[in-house]
Amino acid sequence: MKIEHSYTFKSIPREVLWRTIQDKEVLKRTLPGCKSFVEVEDNVFESELGISIGPVKGIFTGDVRQVDRKEPEFYRLLVTGKGKPGEIDADAEMVLLETEEGTVLQCLADVKLTGILASVGQRVMSGIAKVVIGQFFKEIDKEAKQLV
Amino acid sequence: MAIENVNVKVKINGKERCAKVEPRTLLTHYIRDDLGLTGTHIGCDTSQCGACSVMVDGEVVKSCTVLAVQADGSEITTVEGLGDVNNLHPIQQGFWEKHGLQCGYCTPGVMMAMVGLLKQNPDPSDEEIREGLEGVICRCTGYQFIVEAVKHAAQIMRESEVQLVGEER
Amino acid sequence: MKKVVGARLKRKEDPKLITGNGYFSDDIQLPGMLHAAILRSPHAHAMIKSINVEEALKAPGVVAIYTGKDLEGKIGPVPSSWLVPGCNLKEAPQYPLAIDRVRYVGDGVALVIAEGRYAVRDAMYLIDVEYETLSPAVGQKQSMQIDAPLVHDDIENNIAFHWKAGEIPEEVCENAEVAIRQSFYIQRVAPSPIETRAAIGQYNPGSGELTLWCTSQNPHIHRMVLSGVLGISEAKLRVIAPDMGGGFGGKIGVYPDEALVGYAARDLGRPVKWIEERNEHFTASNYGRDEVLDVELFGKRDGTLGAIRVKNTHNVGAYLSTMGPGVSTIDFGLMVTGCYKIPYASCETFGVYTNTTPTDAYRGAGKPEATYQIERAIDLFAKEIGMDPIELRRKNFVQKEEFPFTNAQGLLYDSGDYEKPLAKALEMLDYNKFRETQKELRKQGKLIGIGFSTYVELCGFGPSKVAGAIGFQGGVWENATVRVHPSGKVTVYSGTSPHGQGHATTFGQVVAEKLGLPMDDIELVFGDTKAISMGWGTYGSRSVAVGGTAVSIATDRVIEKAKKIAAHELEAPVEDLVFEKGIFSVKGAQGFERTFQEIAKSANMAWNLPEGLEPSLEAQSFFDPENFVYPFGAHIAVVEVDKETGQIEVKRYVAVDDVGRVINPLTAEGQVHGGIAQGIGQALWEGAVYNEEGQLLTGTFMDYALPKARFFPEIETAFTETLSPVNPLGAKGIGETGTTASTPAIMNAVMDALEPYGIKDIEMPLTPEKVWRAISESEGK
Repeated sequence: MKIEHSYTFKSIPREVLWRTIQDKEVLKRTLPGCKSFVEVEDNVFESELGISIGPVKGIFTGDVRQVDRKEPEFYRLLVTGKGKPGEIDADAEMVLLETEEGTVLQCLADVKLTGILASVGQRVMSGIAKVVIGQFFKEIDKEAKQLV
Repeated sequence: MAIENVNVKVKINGKERCAKVEPRTLLTHYIRDDLGLTGTHIGCDTSQCGACSVMVDGEVVKSCTVLAVQADGSEITTVEGLGDVNNLHPIQQGFWEKHGLQCGYCTPGVMMAMVGLLKQNPDPSDEEIREGLEGVICRCTGYQFIVEAVKHAAQIMRESEVQLVGEER
Repeated sequence: MKKVVGARLKRKEDPKLITGNGYFSDDIQLPGMLHAAILRSPHAHAMIKSINVEEALKAPGVVAIYTGKDLEGKIGPVPSSWLVPGCNLKEAPQYPLAIDRVRYVGDGVALVIAEGRYAVRDAMYLIDVEYETLSPAVGQKQSMQIDAPLVHDDIENNIAFHWKAGEIPEEVCENAEVAIRQSFYIQRVAPSPIETRAAIGQYNPGSGELTLWCTSQNPHIHRMVLSGVLGISEAKLRVIAPDMGGGFGGKIGVYPDEALVGYAARDLGRPVKWIEERNEHFTASNYGRDEVLDVELFGKRDGTLGAIRVKNTHNVGAYLSTMGPGVSTIDFGLMVTGCYKIPYASCETFGVYTNTTPTDAYRGAGKPEATYQIERAIDLFAKEIGMDPIELRRKNFVQKEEFPFTNAQGLLYDSGDYEKPLAKALEMLDYNKFRETQKELRKQGKLIGIGFSTYVELCGFGPSKVAGAIGFQGGVWENATVRVHPSGKVTVYSGTSPHGQGHATTFGQVVAEKLGLPMDDIELVFGDTKAISMGWGTYGSRSVAVGGTAVSIATDRVIEKAKKIAAHELEAPVEDLVFEKGIFSVKGAQGFERTFQEIAKSANMAWNLPEGLEPSLEAQSFFDPENFVYPFGAHIAVVEVDKETGQIEVKRYVAVDDVGRVINPLTAEGQVHGGIAQGIGQALWEGAVYNEEGQLLTGTFMDYALPKARFFPEIETAFTETLSPVNPLGAKGIGETGTTASTPAIMNAVMDALEPYGIKDIEMPLTPEKVWRAISESEGK
């Protein structure tokens, strides 16, 4: 499942957005359904996420890795998670672009789902995933505004 | 963490019954496993097929998507409460007479749904019956004889003014 | 007295079903019963690195957990029952639980047994399995490629079998004036009985008897196969099919799950119940179809058909199912010429392993696919030469006087009159008027189309010697016992195993008519291997033609014996005895009579029997037909396509079927309706979808579209009756005619509607999106 989403952080400089989105305390607060988020090594986090997508609910445990970091414009996020309804394996490219309005964050993700998670409503799931990502960006936006 | 079982009391097919169940028990499992009324069936787990349909306080409800505790204190009618072999409800007569069932698995739920329909619309057209069947799935009949069965039942009910289930009998 | 055979009687089986007194698998409650759940692979293809059951074992109520490794050497692989010869068939062993590698989403990994329905699932989710994922093989054509991942390491190119039948001389194809070439994908569909599968095992350690209730269309096949898998004598294994909520082929298969439940019940010495969930069903129960058909139809400009060449690439899934290999070979490949006199035919079938749930028989099994390709191809041919599709069909029909007719692939069609149902259907529809209306409506911009399907089906499985020759691992004769009690009431035991078809009624009618008894005096017993000596179950539209015939013959034998007793009591020669309407009388001698009930008593008491005659009144028949039976018919669909949305509405549907003798028109019509609904489902809505990772995307009824009531118009049915010479009833088979005929009828109708756009084919199911895109693309041209 491919997901494309972009969000414009109005009047937020790219460096500020980078700092916000890299701050693990901020992430812990803003990641949807985040129950725990612990840095186990550099840029590798163990997390527990409660996810509820339509009829499928569950707690996913897994790790989040940041790789290929090019401050302040690019990083890749690798997420693997495992829960009762199945497994998640996501590879997301995050691009931060400077524009006149502010900073545009583009997320280009390839998400693989298994088990029940895959077989229930996956064909509508990319829409739902966009909503979830959108919520996350909104929360980040709030956090970033405080730093400007 | 043990959660205490709760007592769920209902009036089902005119009889007071109660059983202690886990709070997460689905109404359908409560009816089938705890009260032993196995006429109500489970077909899909996601409330599409309607095989589990029962009447709760006069409303048609898919019992696989309701918790037993939500039905505590309510009046329930299941297929067993429609009528027995010697005293069939018009909907049962219709299904038998018009061959509205083949395997008979979805039938109890479909009949309950149609009792609900006839309550709102005592003289439905073919089209209205087909629309009324939206919440149920029958894989055997292709629905045509179900439509006939419902029409037949409606006719019997109109002719004999039989009281509907979910009202005082 | 009115004839009972042929009467529109309401069913004997209904009173219990409409009052909630059916007895389905999940209704079974046994003392001390445990619940089972099967942890299934979330991956299409992966190595199992480790399975940690520690946490799960500590969960409340857990009694036992078994993994594939625990069961190694204790329980054998579940074999396929159709080992088609001459096709280099390679059967990979399917162990009841995966040992070190999972091969499809839904492959069993661990069996959990616990006290209670909910506790067992709680525990199941605590099992921690570590997988190392492998690339999956998905899609049959891709999986045959040299670089495709292998489902089974030792099976090259994933080819499970490569079968060929029929030869066409090269010049026939080369010199053909017209050649139609078209590929069709008969997409994977889920049989979807509303009751999922289930198994309940109970073991008696004293007697060593294991009783297994399971959702089986053929309990004796289950007993035969499972006795081998479990290492238990057939005499100690009792398989019972209780009331069943449909099957449609999905419950023919002997599945690993049933073996697991039997094993656990025996191992633990306590009853064990397993009820499949719907989402689980979508991953763990066999699918139907999934065949890519590359079709070439050759002929002349005048409409004479010369040859048909077909390649079928069949996705068999990760393992060979019980009947899977026979579907795309024997059932399909020998029927590719349909009801037409095409002199040459050839079929080449590849069975291909993929990392998906296995495919097996689904209502019609091979015949709907065969009918689809010929009926679609013939329409394309008609378009090509500018001939009316009906005229082309008529020109090539096997003619009435040519029966019995041997088709190009060597099958002997028993009897037929293909013009008869077609003429009747055209009359019901008023064809000529329809074409005029169509022209008018087209002028108004409305897209109305008409589609035909004239079909013939291979049914009544079948002669056992043929079954042996085609590799079926069983006989396909049928057995019946007719037992007359002292009161004259009758119990009939049949080896068929109905699950909605209404055999108690139709078989009862056969017996009632012969014995002159009321229907209420006759009870039918099915589905219990301890009560019924042997039998082969219900599938392939065989029950009436083979099982019903056995019932009929056994009843005749009862009458024959009863006549001897009556003759003895009436002191008349047997030849002078007449039996009518339940009364034995002596020809020409008024007043000398015995009722059937009196003779039943005499036979059972045995106070005064003819010299040398054994007591009791009971007879058995083991009927093995000499040929298959070939029902046929004509279906016509009228559809309207909304060009703005691509939505298709079925406006009319006319079905005229010839299934030989119709025993009960009411239940026969019911079978036709149900079959048509499923066949239209295939054409328009249904389809199982896997993504490139082998993940199933259609795992609930929210994602997999089953037909609803409002999708259909009133179906107009009629029968013509051309008796079969193969059995004394003259019956053919009806269960699968609807699914066989309706899919191409609908497709042809939609293509006719889309003719103004020059659209020749759209892949099924014809969702509005696909139709809309096809229209848009053609407008863009």
